[in-house]
Amino acid sequence: MSRLSPLEERDGDTVVRVPFTRGLTLTPGQTVLALVGVVLLFGLPFLAGIVGLSWSRLFRGLLFGMAAVGLNLLLRHTELVSFGHAAFFGGGAYAVAVMAAHYEVSEGLLLLLAAVLVGTLLAVVIGYFVAGYVDIYFALLTLAFNQVIFATVFRSAYFNYNDGLGVRVGGDNPTLFGLAWTDLGYDLVLYYTTIVLMLVMLLLMWRLVHSPFGRALDAIGQDRTRARFIGIPVERYVWYSFIISGLYGAFAGGVYALQRLHVQPEPTLYVFVSGEILFMAILGGFTTLVGPLVGGVILVYLLEATRFSFNYYHAPIGIVLLAIVFFMPKGIMGSLPDVGAGLSRRASDPGLLGDDVRSIRTKIHRSVTRATTTVRILIFGVK
Amino acid sequence: MVDSFIVHTLNGLWYGFILFMIASGLTIIFGVLGILNLAHGELYALGAFVVFSVVGYATGFVASPDDPVSAVTFGVVVLVAALLAAAVLLPVGALIETVFVRPIYDREEVYQLLLTYALLLIFIDVMKFGWGATPLDAGTYSGLNEIPTTELAGFGYPSYNILAMLVGLAVFAWLVWFFDRSRTGRIVRATAINRDMATAIGVSTDRTFTLVFAMGAFFAGFGGAMVSIGPQTAFLEMGLDPLVLSFVVIVIGGLGSLKGAFVGALIVGVLSRWAIWQYPPVELAAPFAVMLLILLVKPEGLFGTWGEIE
Repeated sequence: MSRLSPLEERDGDTVVRVPFTRGLTLTPGQTVLALVGVVLLFGLPFLAGIVGLSWSRLFRGLLFGMAAVGLNLLLRHTELVSFGHAAFFGGGAYAVAVMAAHYEVSEGLLLLLAAVLVGTLLAVVIGYFVAGYVDIYFALLTLAFNQVIFATVFRSAYFNYNDGLGVRVGGDNPTLFGLAWTDLGYDLVLYYTTIVLMLVMLLLMWRLVHSPFGRALDAIGQDRTRARFIGIPVERYVWYSFIISGLYGAFAGGVYALQRLHVQPEPTLYVFVSGEILFMAILGGFTTLVGPLVGGVILVYLLEATRFSFNYYHAPIGIVLLAIVFFMPKGIMGSLPDVGAGLSRRASDPGLLGDDVRSIRTKIHRSVTRATTTVRILIFGVK
Repeated sequence: MVDSFIVHTLNGLWYGFILFMIASGLTIIFGVLGILNLAHGELYALGAFVVFSVVGYATGFVASPDDPVSAVTFGVVVLVAALLAAAVLLPVGALIETVFVRPIYDREEVYQLLLTYALLLIFIDVMKFGWGATPLDAGTYSGLNEIPTTELAGFGYPSYNILAMLVGLAVFAWLVWFFDRSRTGRIVRATAINRDMATAIGVSTDRTFTLVFAMGAFFAGFGGAMVSIGPQTAFLEMGLDPLVLSFVVIVIGGLGSLKGAFVGALIVGVLSRWAIWQYPPVELAAPFAVMLLILLVKPEGLFGTWGEIE
């Protein structure tokens, strides 16, 4: 096999080497999926309209998904549940708005840089305090920091209270790469710049979680004491990963501000936004790298679309989440391999369908029995 | 100055007692079941909506108060109505526990958060379906305020708020008695400390868990009912802020500690009302700043027990 060909034999399977990642590989199936994903991302502004979806809404979904990818570094590897990632998303968004509204910076890329810097700085400070905590304490601490930031922004004149700040300087869109664009041109250039950066960041994240550092984070997630005994500086590593995950959120928030051109506290900083970012990761599949991105697109789309079309727009999302908890705990991307394998097995052996029907019947029977037992115990006690 | 200090402190205490009723449910559910119930704020809101229907029905039987005797009768009827409204939450809580929460005790806590968040969303729409999207006002507040109690103290203060504080105090006393002295309460505590051992000596943990969840729902609903009869209206989003503040309360007091929830609720209530009075911009941030301070200095909270009721 030549050095130049991306194909390689490993353990008897053909795998595809991914460029620039020092030896990370995909199976052929995954490669096809990844390429389809990239093509979809690049064609999105044109494809979305054809199938009747709103492109800018999908764009926002991708941004929240990106924040969820950052959060997933903590959730998947160090097993810490952060309930305060809106702090970085909103921090980034507000950095853009403040630089534009108070300092009249009009170059989009500079604004984005400011967003990343401010958000990361926030993550440095907050991460320093929370790195030593676990479980519910970690969740509640991050929530508290998030809420302090939200309350400060919400109640201060500098951030213009609940009305928020605009990003336009003198009524114009920010410039990108030093040039002024039309409205459509601005959206397209912003989108493609973001997509390129996003792909780079995903590759970096992928590289990171397969690096020794990423393995150390896994060890920390499994058992902190043991990780400490084998010489991993646990608190410091958690702090680093917190900062990295904050950086992803800040980047996403910065682009969000550039896309909406107006930043308000409730859609960016409120604690329920933190919850949504967390649930995106689980919905998409927090055991995978791109799952949170998919979850972000789906949840944001559901949240925004149902709000305009139904009177009852909370319950459908609640039911989707219930279904995830009970039937698809690995999330959408995490369940894909199982579903795919199951389908192909049934395609080759239709007899399995009969087993499915039987197993569903036993399941229903068992849950009915369990329900009657429960009711009996509740009313009459254990006799 | 002194007068407004007293008034704001009393307002804070009133708010604190309401918070305590919500947070007590949250803390006993967390202490025994180990679940942080995100839908708890919606149970509180549900209580607020239900009481609107119940009180409207109950006060139909008594005329509006015009003398001390009818005023007291009116007050008693309204209180009973609030208790009835909260009682509606008992089967609701039991149902939620048996159907939704029970299958996920052994799952990772992130799924428990996801599940209760899903319930929160569903509850909002159930209430929207039942009572509509416009805020509701039970309208008995002015009637209750005619019960003459506070003029005796030398300055005017809504007598309803005093009533609510007394009720909150009674709830605290009852809870302490229940967990300290009553047989069922001791069984609940034993189950919280060691599930296996409790099962081994013949306690049905299923029943205990359902009871605890239903109790938590009851007190959340009762808190909501007391607020909704009072100066505030019932609206769909009313559950969110008290939920988040209840986290603060139970963290300050120590997760799973009843006394902690009581002290924490009063601290948060009084502090936020003082903030409104002196420097409104910090009102929202102040409770969280206190919570941060407590968590960083004394993570187990003021009366810290970790995961069992005390």
